[in-house]
Amino acid sequence: MSSDVAVDIQHLTKRFGPRTVFEDISLQVKRSEVVAIIGPSGAGKSTFIRCINYLHPFDEGRIRVLGRELVGGAAPPSKAVLREIRTHVGMAFQTFNLFPHLTALGNVMLGPMEAKRMPRAEAQDKAMALLTAVGLAERANAYPRRLSGGEQQRVAICRALAMDPEVMLFDEPTSMLDPEMVGEVLEAIRRLAGQGMTLILVTHEMMFAKEVANTVVVMADGRLVEQGPAREVLEHPQTDRARTFLNRVLKPLAAEGSPLAPVSLGGDHP
Amino acid sequence: MLQLWQQYLPDFFAGVVVSLEVTGAALVLALALGALLVTARTGRVRVLRSLAVGYIEIFRAIPVLVLVFMAYYSLGQVGIRLPGFWAGVVALGAFYAALYSEDMRSGLQSVDRGQREAAQALGMTNGAMMRRVILPQALLAFLPPGTNELSNLIKDTSLVFTIGVADLMFQANQASAATFQPMDMFVLAGLFYFAFYILISRILARWELNVQRRRS
Repeated sequence: MSSDVAVDIQHLTKRFGPRTVFEDISLQVKRSEVVAIIGPSGAGKSTFIRCINYLHPFDEGRIRVLGRELVGGAAPPSKAVLREIRTHVGMAFQTFNLFPHLTALGNVMLGPMEAKRMPRAEAQDKAMALLTAVGLAERANAYPRRLSGGEQQRVAICRALAMDPEVMLFDEPTSMLDPEMVGEVLEAIRRLAGQGMTLILVTHEMMFAKEVANTVVVMADGRLVEQGPAREVLEHPQTDRARTFLNRVLKPLAAEGSPLAPVSLGGDHP
Repeated sequence: MLQLWQQYLPDFFAGVVVSLEVTGAALVLALALGALLVTARTGRVRVLRSLAVGYIEIFRAIPVLVLVFMAYYSLGQVGIRLPGFWAGVVALGAFYAALYSEDMRSGLQSVDRGQREAAQALGMTNGAMMRRVILPQALLAFLPPGTNELSNLIKDTSLVFTIGVADLMFQANQASAATFQPMDMFVLAGLFYFAFYILISRILARWELNVQRRRS
């Protein structure tokens, strides 16, 4: 494996009891590559992305993250390996998961101080710089409760970036946001991509995926159904499953079987 | 009445001090043992989990007075002779540990799963995660039932008078016997307990409010 591969996932399978969440998924992510994972709800996308930093264990396959290996089914990795991986892989969650008892600044400072033993003053400077970069310098002392969803997610991104990660994972970062706040969060992610950060994101923002991602992966029914250059997959999907999904998402009103599709009323029949 | 109260006030104050000492010692024991129980209860070792559950079920079910007598007389019979004060502390502490461990558990459970995931994703150790993320949030959920439990504990300390500990209740009983004025003396005792209750519940309620306010 060449060293320009940041994350190498081989034949990953995950089960919850008798239920298979996803099966036999392989994916390679190069350094500075942006990979968008799309697909219908319940396809296992979130569970899959959480396996990469081992928030979820998995049953089969293996993941090589930045040179450290996670193996499925085996005993859980050592704490040292886990911490190695997690301090180099940042994550932003759908529900933000900011620490409610800390200010925005406190949230961003905590990781470096606790997991890297960074002195408080240094952590504070770093946190302030990160918040300033996403336009939140004035909100630094606000508690999460007082922040809008978009602000919370931007703080959460800063919190992850404070660890100087080499890879960032985004688990549906905008799907809990009011529509007018999606833009500010996507802008922050776009900036990261521009800086050459390796990004893996689960998203429903197709336009964003088309614009920012190099690679799009379509997951459906617990399988990886299609994978390729973003524009190609989104505009000319090769598989039926991907095509059905994209049709429904991109043209929700026209899609076959949609409750909003034009229907003929019984009384109009001749 | 006021004259009698005045006369016995020093005795009552001495009793108050003992009652507070019993409360404090029992509270420390209950919180420490409760923390151990909740650790065992939510931990990975099955035997410890079952032991903790068994302990909680048993001690919750036995009246505190029975525990007080067991700690003083029954333990004494098998050669563990505790002074009345410590027998009372042990009985109250053992009982309230069971209640506190349940309050602590629900406090811990009230913390959203996502908090744990966020801390793990940052690469924090389990210890750091507990200290900096989980416990500060669990505390807030623990305070209201914890305060409630504490006011019950204060009242239950009056049971130690049955094994001869010179607490507030003991002093009231003595004074009542000496003066044949049970009305006056027990009302005074009641007033003292009431004052305790008001003091402690107000202090804790204010603390709770402060913690909440600081986080918004």
